[in-house]
Amino acid sequence: MTAANNTESLRREVRSWLEQSTPSGWREAMTGTDQESFVRLQRDWFGKLAAAGYATPHWPEGWPGGGRSLAEQKVIFEEVARADAPRLILFFVALYHAACTLLECGSAGQRDRYLPGILAGEIWCQGFSEPNAGSDLASLKTRAERRGDRYIINGQKTWSTMAQYADRCLLLARTDKSGPPQAGLTYLLLDMRAPGVTVRPISQITGDDEFAEIFFDDVEIPVEERVGDERAGWAVAQATLASERGLTLVELSQRMRYSLPLIAAEMRATGRADDPATRRELGHLIARVDATCALADRYLLKRISGEEAPGDASIVKLYYARTLREFTSLGRRIAGLEGQYYRGFMRGATQETGNWTVDFMNSYNWSIAGGSDEIQRNIISERMLGMPREPRSWQLGSQR
Amino acid sequence: MTTEVRELHDSARQVLGGIDLAADEQATWPLIADLGWLMISTPEDMGGLGMGLAGACALHMELGRRLATIPFLPATLAIEAICLGDLPGREAWLERLTAGSDYVAAPLAESALHLLPGDKELAGTAVAVQSADRASHVMVWTSSGDCVALVALDRPGVKIHARPTWDTTRRLFEVEFAGAVLDDALVLARGPAAQALARRLATVRDFALAAEAAGGAAALLDLTVEYLQTRQQFGRPLALFQALKHRCADLKALTEGAQALLQDSLAKLGDYPGGIAQAELAGRAAKQLACSAYASVTEESLQLHGGIGMTSEHVCHLFLKRAMLNEHLGRSQESCSSDLAKAFLECS
Repeated sequence: MTAANNTESLRREVRSWLEQSTPSGWREAMTGTDQESFVRLQRDWFGKLAAAGYATPHWPEGWPGGGRSLAEQKVIFEEVARADAPRLILFFVALYHAACTLLECGSAGQRDRYLPGILAGEIWCQGFSEPNAGSDLASLKTRAERRGDRYIINGQKTWSTMAQYADRCLLLARTDKSGPPQAGLTYLLLDMRAPGVTVRPISQITGDDEFAEIFFDDVEIPVEERVGDERAGWAVAQATLASERGLTLVELSQRMRYSLPLIAAEMRATGRADDPATRRELGHLIARVDATCALADRYLLKRISGEEAPGDASIVKLYYARTLREFTSLGRRIAGLEGQYYRGFMRGATQETGNWTVDFMNSYNWSIAGGSDEIQRNIISERMLGMPREPRSWQLGSQR
Repeated sequence: MTTEVRELHDSARQVLGGIDLAADEQATWPLIADLGWLMISTPEDMGGLGMGLAGACALHMELGRRLATIPFLPATLAIEAICLGDLPGREAWLERLTAGSDYVAAPLAESALHLLPGDKELAGTAVAVQSADRASHVMVWTSSGDCVALVALDRPGVKIHARPTWDTTRRLFEVEFAGAVLDDALVLARGPAAQALARRLATVRDFALAAEAAGGAAALLDLTVEYLQTRQQFGRPLALFQALKHRCADLKALTEGAQALLQDSLAKLGDYPGGIAQAELAGRAAKQLACSAYASVTEESLQLHGGIGMTSEHVCHLFLKRAMLNEHLGRSQESCSSDLAKAFLECS
C-alpha cells in the first residue's frame, strides 16, 4: 500500500472513532464552569485518546500508539480539528515537550522512569520564562547550585501553563554565571511536590487562570534528574521547543476555518448579514484564514520532506497570530454593545468561541506566547531576509 | 508544487534575469514565443506543453517579478478559450498563436458587452485590452455569458482607443463595438456552453493576476531589503533599524501567505468536488489576497526607499502603479471579497 493510501485509511479510522468518542456538548459544559470540571473533562478525554492510541502518534515505535509518520500525525490533528474535539491542553507539555525532550536528550533511565507516567496521565509544566526573562530567555536567573549529588534551586518562574495541576516540571536554571548567558544553563526535571515549591495561579484579563508562577525556595533536585550535561541546558531547551513540529498550527488553523460560521451567525444575530461593508470584511477574512491553513500545511509538508528553511515556522506563527486577531476583532465589532456585556467564558475551547470580547483578549496569547510577534519578525528579517542583527551597543555603555 | 512546476519557475527566472525590468515588449515577445511559453497550458494532444494553469501561473509569477510588458496574460487567455471552444480550423489558429506570429487579445477587466436583438451583432466596450494595436483579433464574452467569440479588430463597427494608464508597463486599450457583426466561424461557444466557458476564463484570469501580483510583491520586497542593506544613515545601514526590519518581516509574511494560498488552490484545482463554483471562489480568494499583498508591499516599499522612491529613475513607482492597476483588473478586490462572503453565508 502507498503512503497516501495509508494516511487515507488512517483518516477514515480516526474520523469514525472521533464520531463515536468525542464528548458531546463539551462546549456548553465548559462554558462558565470552574477549573475542576475542566480538569475532569481533560482527564477523561486524554484517557480515551490514549487508550485508542491517538495521544502518542509521535512517540517511537514500540510505545502504545507510537511510530506514526509526521504525515499520519498531521491526519490525526486535522481530524481532531474537524470533529471539534477538545484540545489536550492539560497534557500537551507532557506528551510533546517532556516526552520529546526525554526521547531526544534524556537517559534510558529517565525515559523508563517518566514515559510510562506520561502515558498514564501525569501532568507536566514548563519552567522556562521568568519575570525578567521573557523574549530574552537566555538571561534567566533562577539558580541551580550543585551541592554533592543534588542541585539546590532558588528563584522564580512564570507563565507556566497549568502548573497548579502539574506533577512535574521541565526546569531551565542557571548553574553558571560566567560566559555567554546561554552557556551557563542546565536542564532539570522537578517533582512539583518537592519541599520549597510554591505555585501561584496568575489571574488573567479574561478571568481565567491557565498560567501560574512557580517559586523555588531551596528546592532539592537529585543530579540524576538532569537532562544532558551541566551547562548544556540551552541546547536541550531547543529540543523541547522544537517538539511540536508545526502540528499545533495545522490543528489551530483548521479549527479557525471551521469556526468561520460563528462570524456568519453573529452577522445574522445582529441583522448585518446583508451589510456590504461587513460582507467585504468577512470575504477578506475568509481568504486570510484559507491562507493561514495553506501556510501551516505547506510548512508541515516541508518538514516531512526535510526542506524546512530558517524562518518558515515564524511566518506561520506570525500569520496565524495576525489572522486570529483580525478574526476575533471582526466578531467583536459585529457583536457591538451586546458583545461587551459579561458572559462566562468557555474553557479549553481554543480561540474562537463566539464570546468575542474574551476571544479577542485571548488572541494575545498567540501574539505574545511561544515567541512574540516581535521575536518572529526578528527571525524573519534576520534569518529569511538576511538583514543584520542590531549591535549590542547599549550593553557596552554605562549599564552592566 | 510539483517538481515540474518548480523547475519551470527556476528556468523562467534564469531566462528573465537576463533581460531588463520592464524590458521592451517587442524584444521580449519573440523570446517567450521561442521558449514555447505561449503553449504552456495547451493540452499535449493539441501540441502544447500540457502544464495546465499551475504551469501558466508559474510563468505569470516570474513575468510579474520582472514587470514584463508583453501581453502574455491576455494571449494565454485567448489560447485557452480557443482550446476549449468550438472553432473551425483550431489547429491552424493554435499554431499561429503559440508561435507568437499572431496575437489575439482579451479584456483584462470585466467588460459590459451584449448582443443586439437577433444575436448577430456585438455592442459595448471591452476594457483593459492590452497591446490591442498589435492584435489581429480580440476574444470577448458577453456580460450574460451566453456568447464567447473572437472578433477581428479590422471589422466594421470595431474601434480601438488607446487608454494610457499610470502603469506604463502595460499598454491598455478600449475596444468599442458598435453593432459589429459576429463572424459565425469565429464564435467559440453559445448558450450554456458559453456560460461555462466564460466563468472558467474569468477564473483563469483571476488566478493569473494573483500569480502576477504575488511575483511582483516578492520581487519588490527583495529589492527593498537590498536597498536597506546598502543605504547608510547615522553611520549604519538602514537594515539595522528594527522598526524597518519588522515592517519588512510583515511584508514577507503577507507575500508568503498569498503565495501559499495561490499554490494550494492551484494544486487542488482538479479535485474540487464543487467544480467551477468552487474553483471560482478559490480564484477570487487568491486574487484578493495576492493583490492586497502587492498593494501593501508597493505602498510600504516606496516609504522605505525614502526620497529616491519618489523619483522616476527608480523602479519603485513602476511596481506601485502596476499593483494599483492590478487591484482593478479581473474581478475587483471588493467584488472578490463580497463574492466570498456571499457564497459562505449561503452555505453556513
